[in-house]
Amino acid sequence: MATQADKEIPGLFDRAYALFTLVNSLPDEMSDEEIAGLLHVLPADIRSTLSSILHRRHRRAGMLFLKMIAAWLEEAVGARQRGQKLLLGTFNYLPEFIHAFRGAVLLTSEVITTLGVVSLEGQGERYWDYAMGLGIPDFLCSANTIALGSVLTGCDIIPDGIVQSAPGACDANSKIHEFVAREYDIPQFFIEKPNYTDRRGREQYQKNFLACVRQLEGFIGEELDEERLREVLEKSNRCTELFYELWDLRKFVPCPVPNIFSLFTFATRFTMWGRDEGIRLFTTMVETVKEIMEKDDYVAPERARTVWTYLPYFFDFSGFFNWLEEQGVVYLNDVLTACFPTIIDTTDMQSMLRGLAESAWNMPMTRQMGGDSMMIRWLDDIVHCVNDLGANAAVYCGHHSCKQTWSVVAAVRNEIQKRAGVPTLCLQGDSWIRRMTPMSVLQEEISSFVDNVLARKPRGARRKAE
Amino acid sequence: MEGLTDYAGDIFNPYLREWKEGGGRIVGYACVATPREFLDAAGVLPYRIRALGNPDRELADAYLARFNCGFCRACLQLGLDGSYDFLDGLVETNGCDHLRGMFENWQYVKKLDFFHYLHVPHLISEEALEFFAEELELYREAISAHFGVDVSDASLLEAMERSNRVRGKLRELFSLREKERPCLTGTDVLAALLLESSLPPAVFEEYLDGLLATVRSREVSGYRSRLLLAGSASDELGLVKEIEGVGGLVVTDALCYGTRAFWALPELEGDPIHAMAESYLKNLYCARMFDDYPNRLAFVMDAARRAGVEGAVLVYNKFCDLHGVENVSLRTDLEKEGIPVLILEKEYGAGADIGRIRTRVQAFLERIGG
Repeated sequence: MATQADKEIPGLFDRAYALFTLVNSLPDEMSDEEIAGLLHVLPADIRSTLSSILHRRHRRAGMLFLKMIAAWLEEAVGARQRGQKLLLGTFNYLPEFIHAFRGAVLLTSEVITTLGVVSLEGQGERYWDYAMGLGIPDFLCSANTIALGSVLTGCDIIPDGIVQSAPGACDANSKIHEFVAREYDIPQFFIEKPNYTDRRGREQYQKNFLACVRQLEGFIGEELDEERLREVLEKSNRCTELFYELWDLRKFVPCPVPNIFSLFTFATRFTMWGRDEGIRLFTTMVETVKEIMEKDDYVAPERARTVWTYLPYFFDFSGFFNWLEEQGVVYLNDVLTACFPTIIDTTDMQSMLRGLAESAWNMPMTRQMGGDSMMIRWLDDIVHCVNDLGANAAVYCGHHSCKQTWSVVAAVRNEIQKRAGVPTLCLQGDSWIRRMTPMSVLQEEISSFVDNVLARKPRGARRKAE
Repeated sequence: MEGLTDYAGDIFNPYLREWKEGGGRIVGYACVATPREFLDAAGVLPYRIRALGNPDRELADAYLARFNCGFCRACLQLGLDGSYDFLDGLVETNGCDHLRGMFENWQYVKKLDFFHYLHVPHLISEEALEFFAEELELYREAISAHFGVDVSDASLLEAMERSNRVRGKLRELFSLREKERPCLTGTDVLAALLLESSLPPAVFEEYLDGLLATVRSREVSGYRSRLLLAGSASDELGLVKEIEGVGGLVVTDALCYGTRAFWALPELEGDPIHAMAESYLKNLYCARMFDDYPNRLAFVMDAARRAGVEGAVLVYNKFCDLHGVENVSLRTDLEKEGIPVLILEKEYGAGADIGRIRTRVQAFLERIGG
């Protein structure tokens, strides 16, 4: 597909890998001066990313996060040499399921896109543009199309297979992966979710999940090993416990959990869940939050507690997560962290597979948009988050390609107001492409909302009592 | 009888009025994956939702967004402004994200007494077929319970037989359109198909018989090239008319308001539920299905070969993810087979778009030597 000229553009994955693995040469602990020196020599985009991730309040967790991602990338790079199959998956696919295979490694396309956007000069735009050049429409999801645009150039990492759980939950995501599978003649393995949330739907989903297990076993050439699966799931269970510990810490007012910890949380969910690296990061996040509480180390007085009803913005971490914190706006969570993991019973193979299927059912987007209604489960989850975390507002980022959420957001906004009593700010912008709506415009809209809606005081002369 | 064609552009034609006045019930559906025979078997008139190029959106846009497909927004508009108040219920399918949004908002606002969600799998497998058969059983039960009619196997088989007879005649109509000297235009055929899903079956069959009898001796002339039209939901007579107006005769199609709606002939032997599950799932030819591209390509190629087309126009409504991506693959594969392709992204029902479309089709016809 790619011409020689195209091949002169290095691939997104390869470039992001080269940059991210640089963190392996950095010490775990770095002083403010060392960080300032490091940032000084970096280009603007990665400087914004690292300044946010390595903010003094949560530097230890930030460094662990970077090293976890570097390790994840290194595993993919070395997969073929180790005789492992390299699988490309969607973000709503269970990483712990693939970790349980010795012979396979999972790369998640949305994570690769994000890494490219946050680290590369020019972010991921050249790969997006390449995909557009092939005729892919410009309203497709940038979360997948940037990474897959790079794969389509032919000069990036090419997977051996694609694992998919997006059909029925997101057309855009499903179609671009299908397109790549066709272009490279690589197999796809699906877990289809029936649009039912009742017992019948769950039973069918279990069947679909088990069918996918068998197909993957055949493809990888390895049967799932009970002991290895148990080991992975016990670590997943530990991640789940820490996930909820962190969740509970978010309930404090003022909120001691740094905004960017939401990103660390879902990034772990999509990569190293069920692994020591994931446990280490969660443990450090919990410790960091407790230190913040002990030291009373808050960035600004709390003015707004927000639940983000879908995604954050990824193209400017500093302008987003840090800026919100400086404005006293708490980013409590989003739909990506609303995956509500459960403790899996590791008694035997059957209970473990049942637990895995349940986790897959609850992965973000599958859980909400893959329901019999695109609105009801999504709304229930938002209302739960708003009430449980004590939010006073909801924000919808309006990622332009999320046709499912755009289809029902007006009704969802009305119902959030009715059921949880909080207003929703609807923004418009692409979460991974800065061209659509610049961060300055998004910041202005958020500021106006906080100043005029959340902090609004009654106007006019007070009526005298009769 | 041919005068009926005028009603192709009506949402609520006089025959539907008469049906309603006589106490008849009408249920709306939109997706080609909806087996309408079940409704017919219950004596309920299945009506395929259409927007007929309606450019208005103001009510719909309070619910759907500008990033949603214009066709779905236009249909929702008609649902909310009362144009579809004659419907006694709706059948939703998970056809695509936009369609789901359209139905969900329609029901959110209107709260119809009969609203059934029919889940259609995205994959073809033994498990999926079994699941879909169960779905059809639930669909049958829902219709029977709500309308107080027993949809028995016998009545279902009768409806299937009736439907297959009409499907067969529509194939005949297509052969008259696809032949070397076409008897009718693409606009004529789309009008007939729009009538098919908005008239009482007996009325339509009579109309179709009349049409078949009269058009055989006709010959369409004065066109520059023979074209295939494929892509996303298109019920816009105006669009086909524009393409034909500049000389591109649409001699065949692979549209969901076209061949994809009637080409398959469900087996009339054995268990009707399984026959319907098998026929509808295996013959969807829709980009919503996964791992089924080779069948879809074969379906398009068969149509192209049958009709001896000189070019293909692949349309999609802005924001249609499914066909937006699918058309890229189709273009590559059709061109490999020597069929030149024009991909047309369009805003549904937008009059302002017509000039651009005309220019692009004219340029395409020049390119292919028409």
